[in-house]
Amino acid sequence: MGQQLFIFGAAFLGSAVESTEALTIVLAVGLTRGWRAPLLGAGAAVVILAVLVLAFGQLIVTTIPDSALKLVVGTLLLLFGLRWLHKAVLRSAGAEALHDEEHAYKQTVTQLSGAAGTDWVGFVLALKGVFLEGLEVVFIVIGVGGTGHGFPAAIAGGVVAALVVAAAGFAVRRPLARVPENTLKYAVGVILTSLGTFWAAEGMGVEWPLDFVSIAGLAVTYFVASRLAVGLIRRRPRGQAVAA
Amino acid sequence: MSFLSAAVRQVVGLFVRDWLQSAVVLVILGAGWFAVARVGAPAVAVMVLLLAGQLVWFASVEGRSSAGEANPSG
Repeated sequence: MGQQLFIFGAAFLGSAVESTEALTIVLAVGLTRGWRAPLLGAGAAVVILAVLVLAFGQLIVTTIPDSALKLVVGTLLLLFGLRWLHKAVLRSAGAEALHDEEHAYKQTVTQLSGAAGTDWVGFVLALKGVFLEGLEVVFIVIGVGGTGHGFPAAIAGGVVAALVVAAAGFAVRRPLARVPENTLKYAVGVILTSLGTFWAAEGMGVEWPLDFVSIAGLAVTYFVASRLAVGLIRRRPRGQAVAA
Repeated sequence: MSFLSAAVRQVVGLFVRDWLQSAVVLVILGAGWFAVARVGAPAVAVMVLLLAGQLVWFASVEGRSSAGEANPSG
């Protein structure tokens, strides 16, 4: 039960971050060019992504041996999580600009203001945005749920996240700038890196003490390492200004 | 076509931020797999510490270099 909740939570948080980014694009298109085309584009992208999850998710889970699956998915999840964590460390230390949905929204609106003509522009832009951001959601769902017999919980986490973000976006009709996206990305980076390490090691034949609870220990290790990296970046040579 | 290439770039970009860092992670995992079969549990602990260590190393190197670029006078 605890494991299923953990999988649901990890899939929910990771998917919520990506859904927020997709929503920003759909809102920017919808509010500047009308809603029909971007909603159709977003719907088409969701259908393609759902087919990908069902086809590849089931195929992967049912055809690849358990240990090989854990090793491969764990390795990919580790690489994926480390990429998020690395970026979160740089943002936290002020070495990279924080992700800003308001800014992303304005950028898309500016891009659209020069585009005249048919609704295809809005359709394609929404399709592309939702599909590309959704690819990350698909990987999070497959990676988090596919190895620990938690596929339904992971799919539920991804779907609930998308619905919550879509409902919030529909309610406020503007980018969800108040979502603490950078903090969420930091937390999800730690969780995915820990899960990836856990499954990759299980795929190697390791039996973790306390089984799933060991993920908490891994999370503490990666969190401490990330804070150490933030500290090292902030402790820059004399004369350099702090960019944060 | 540009949509497909963007999708491929996005898929690769899901896992790779820096090719060298990704290669180092894969080498650590490969060595860990080899060591786990021979040494057992202690090898896992070393592998986790190495994975955490590479994060500290690569993030701090990149963070310091971008800070240096932002303020070259320092």
